[in-house]
Amino acid sequence: MGYSACAKDCGLGAYVSIMAASISGYTFSSVCYHSANSNSDHEGFLLGEVRQEETLSISDSHIGSSEFLNVIEVHNHEPCTQLFSFYDYAGNVNEENLNRILKDRRKNVIGWYRFRRNTQQQMSFREQVIHKQLTHILGIPDLVFLLFSFISTANSSTHALEYVLFRPNRNKYNQRISLSIPNLGNTSQQEYKVSSVPNTSKNYTSVIKEHGTEFFDKDGVMKDIRAIFQVYSALQERVQAVCCEVDQSERVKEKIQEEVNKLKEEITLRKRNSAEEERRLQEAAAVMLPDNSALPDSSHSSLTQVVLSGPSVEPSLERPVNSSSPPIYSTTLPPDSPSAILLPRPQAVGSPGHPSPSLGLGNGDGSSSDSLNRQATGQEDQEDDDEDSSEYENLVSEQLQPPSLTETVLLGRPATLWPDGDAHSPPGS
Amino acid sequence: MNSLSPEVALSRISPELRPLLCSVVRDGRVGLDSSSCLRITDLKSGCTSLMPGPCCDRFKLHIPYAGETLKWDIIFNAIDPELPPDFIFGEDADFLPEPSELAHLVSWDAGKPECLLQLVKELLQQYHLYQCQRLRDSSRLLFEYGSLLEDPNYGHSMEIYAGRKNSWTGEFSARFLLKLPVDFSNIPVYLLKDTALDPGEDVALLSVSFEDAEATQVFPKLYLSPSIEHALGGSSALHIPAFPSGGCLIDYVPQVCQLLTNKVQYVIQGYHKRREYIAAFLSHFGMGVVEYDAVGFTKLTLLLMWKDFCFLVHVDLPLYFPRDQPTLTFQSIYHFTSSGQLYSQVQKSYPYSPRWDGNEMAKRANVYISNTGLEKSQPQSHFKTSFPQFFLRFQFFSRFLNGDYLEDEQLRKLVNAKIPLANFNALTNNKKSFVTVFINLY
Repeated sequence: MGYSACAKDCGLGAYVSIMAASISGYTFSSVCYHSANSNSDHEGFLLGEVRQEETLSISDSHIGSSEFLNVIEVHNHEPCTQLFSFYDYAGNVNEENLNRILKDRRKNVIGWYRFRRNTQQQMSFREQVIHKQLTHILGIPDLVFLLFSFISTANSSTHALEYVLFRPNRNKYNQRISLSIPNLGNTSQQEYKVSSVPNTSKNYTSVIKEHGTEFFDKDGVMKDIRAIFQVYSALQERVQAVCCEVDQSERVKEKIQEEVNKLKEEITLRKRNSAEEERRLQEAAAVMLPDNSALPDSSHSSLTQVVLSGPSVEPSLERPVNSSSPPIYSTTLPPDSPSAILLPRPQAVGSPGHPSPSLGLGNGDGSSSDSLNRQATGQEDQEDDDEDSSEYENLVSEQLQPPSLTETVLLGRPATLWPDGDAHSPPGS
Repeated sequence: MNSLSPEVALSRISPELRPLLCSVVRDGRVGLDSSSCLRITDLKSGCTSLMPGPCCDRFKLHIPYAGETLKWDIIFNAIDPELPPDFIFGEDADFLPEPSELAHLVSWDAGKPECLLQLVKELLQQYHLYQCQRLRDSSRLLFEYGSLLEDPNYGHSMEIYAGRKNSWTGEFSARFLLKLPVDFSNIPVYLLKDTALDPGEDVALLSVSFEDAEATQVFPKLYLSPSIEHALGGSSALHIPAFPSGGCLIDYVPQVCQLLTNKVQYVIQGYHKRREYIAAFLSHFGMGVVEYDAVGFTKLTLLLMWKDFCFLVHVDLPLYFPRDQPTLTFQSIYHFTSSGQLYSQVQKSYPYSPRWDGNEMAKRANVYISNTGLEKSQPQSHFKTSFPQFFLRFQFFSRFLNGDYLEDEQLRKLVNAKIPLANFNALTNNKKSFVTVFINLY
């Protein structure tokens, strides 16, 4: 709202409220050189560009206000060779002559300048007349006028070059704009500023064009930047992939962990049961000695049935064991994972309890008895040993037992319980 | 900077520009106030300091206008002297005349010396219009201006200066400078001759200053060219009436104009009257005329004799004769006063009337001086008048000094007449001895 109000006050299409101007050092010195070397008044045109900056300021007192700053940059100048070169005595501007002087740089004109010796720093009558016409002909609403005055003392001991930039198209009195020259000052205490004035030299442009392809690609972006960006992209991708892998493996681990926990529970349960069974057997053995051998079979068979049926209830537990296991667990499991499925042993009560020596319970060396003995000891041992490892081994050995072994076991001794910790493949398998 | 004399200015200016400046400096009179010339100051050069010789091509021109002095910068280029100049109008930054209105700028001819002067005149006209436009800020003053403009007597010879509004108090002031259309051509030339410089055109200017937009503080002032002022009797003789509060210029200015015209008429008439008077005296006293002012007819000297007593009569006619009575001065040719002057007596009160014509006045004066008629008709009264007494006194003294003595009867009469006291140091060359006579006649 205030924007348009300002524009109305201005009376022109210019909306800006503040103006600043800058001229590069070499342009300024060039203008001064041309001017000082002329033996009369001198004039010319200023070429450059105008850019607008908007500053939004927010404070507690009022909700944001935006300030527009019009910055005029003078890049170059076009001196006129003589006075009255594009206007006549009455101050009427001749457009033909103007075009002849400016040629194709007409669109870059942002103002004009005049150099006068020993006169006041004020726009003269003819300058005002010409300025109005130039504004109209060139179609620049905010055309500026730079006035140079060269004042010398009477004995020529001191000379002063004064310059003032006018903005005569404002309704008020001629408004003066401050003209800044970057780096004209004490640069030892200030930073050397890189001017935003672009280099309009033709030589510079041609060199850059020639050698630019080594540094820039076709879009004008530096090649290094693109390469670095590519590296960055690749790294990002890899990181993403690793993230996915980690995610997957974590999930697998989680599942297996659950399995492990469950199996542990099973093992403890089994141990408890087998301990109870032992007790009962012992109690029963104490009561019925001849049926000692048969009892264990039935009991064992029932036990094994019971035991064996346990795991079968949980098919999920079997699956990962029987399927092609992930290579991670390959070390713990035997390479030739048996396809033995824990089946309930269809062993009836009263089955011959003598196992054929050829069909050993496990080893051909007749260590079956040993195994029996060891079973008892193994049980005891189990309790002492690390639960995980021994149970694990027992679990493995249980799984390893081939179906043929189950048939041949007369004693009914479960071949699952191996005393040693090795995962042996059952004999005859 | 002090203004430069024309010659100095011309010597410093670039040779090609000299003719242009010459006409400005020597003949430059612009505006209503032609008595003061254009002045040039601050001569500077637009060339490098390496340029030799006189090469000044820019200066400040002081132009009198409406009671103010405008200081305009004029900028030439010595390298290109055929090009027209540029102007900076001093403090009037808003003044921007239309170039098409300036004929001498559009068709500038550096070969014509008066081109610059004409251009300055054209610019001044435009400046006047610009000032008139500024009067729009005050409706009252605009009315004043409008009313004056319509009057053909004043409309074309007017200069207006509209002062800048005072930013503190918001005041607006203006000054009107009007040339009064009074005809001074009939003023006798003798009146205008006593001026050292070339008086130029005889002009009367009325300056009216309005210190505020409501015309409550108005200060009028009359400016006359020096010769006119002298002809009319000096600045003390002219008092214009104060501006009536609530009045307006269109009423006041003609009033002042009339007043001035009347005065001028009176002066002219006075001259003619004096001339008539002198002529009449000449015809009456014929051979007794010693000398008279044949140009201004202000003085006349007669040498008369009464009963072998010769004396001089000086007649001084004042400026506003016949309103003012002429002064008669009687002077003895024999006697000196103590200060070494010829004894004289001034006589102002004698029968006189301004309505008499020259002849009548001469006749009456003759009667009075000779007093022959009065002496016979009123033997007593003539002693009471100082004129016959004057004669008697000197007659007595001359006779006394010559060795004559008055008869007792005459002396008695003199003594009885109670003639006022007079001390005389009479020195006569007739006697061989130096005689100092103190006579008390009472």
